[in-house]
Amino acid sequence: MIYKVSIVIPGAEHGGAILNLREMPKVGDHIKVGDMEVEVLEVMDLVPPRGDFHFMHATCKVVDEEKSA
Amino acid sequence: MEEMIELLKGVEFFDGLTDAELQRVAGICREVRYRKGDLITTQGEEGEEMYIVRDGLVEVTIGESGTAPRTVVNLGTGQVVGEMALVDRGPRSATVRCVTDAVVNAIKRDAFDQLCQSDHHIGLIVYRNLAADLSFKLRHRHLSRR
Repeated sequence: MIYKVSIVIPGAEHGGAILNLREMPKVGDHIKVGDMEVEVLEVMDLVPPRGDFHFMHATCKVVDEEKSA
Repeated sequence: MEEMIELLKGVEFFDGLTDAELQRVAGICREVRYRKGDLITTQGEEGEEMYIVRDGLVEVTIGESGTAPRTVVNLGTGQVVGEMALVDRGPRSATVRCVTDAVVNAIKRDAFDQLCQSDHHIGLIVYRNLAADLSFKLRHRHLSRR
């Protein structure tokens, strides 16, 4: 199963990201977005799953500001 | 070829295709390697290819007259960029830059059209998935603007 996740970082200039993850994201997980690391604050299904894919939305915050610069 | 088929299985764009169909898709893919900072597409230019991000992260920016370009989304492994040019043949709607070193699979429009016309099942599945991918990107855009 692949989790296609829309990652949004409220308040940041960053446009967020769309990533395929091998594991379902959970609140508190840390996710690498390029050189930046974010923490999942909220996660929900975005649309129903289809085929081998789940479609999710995660609201995140940056946890490594230095790397995101 | 087996490795390529496994990679394509991780791309929503091709979800629902059989291994034999994925093999045909793999046959029209061309691997391209980019360095961090390289441009894959430039807004306003003509485009004849779409790209599947095989490894790395790319940034999609849109510039509007009188304002600095704005990042609308970053796309990671398994995501597709440049697909709009395949559908509407219009100019590139955005600039795509590599945030990290990246490997992509490029697919030319003519080869893609030929494949879809020669095998309507591939065409049906891929165009359905293309619509779903554009819908997902639109939903992401709405959520990121809240």
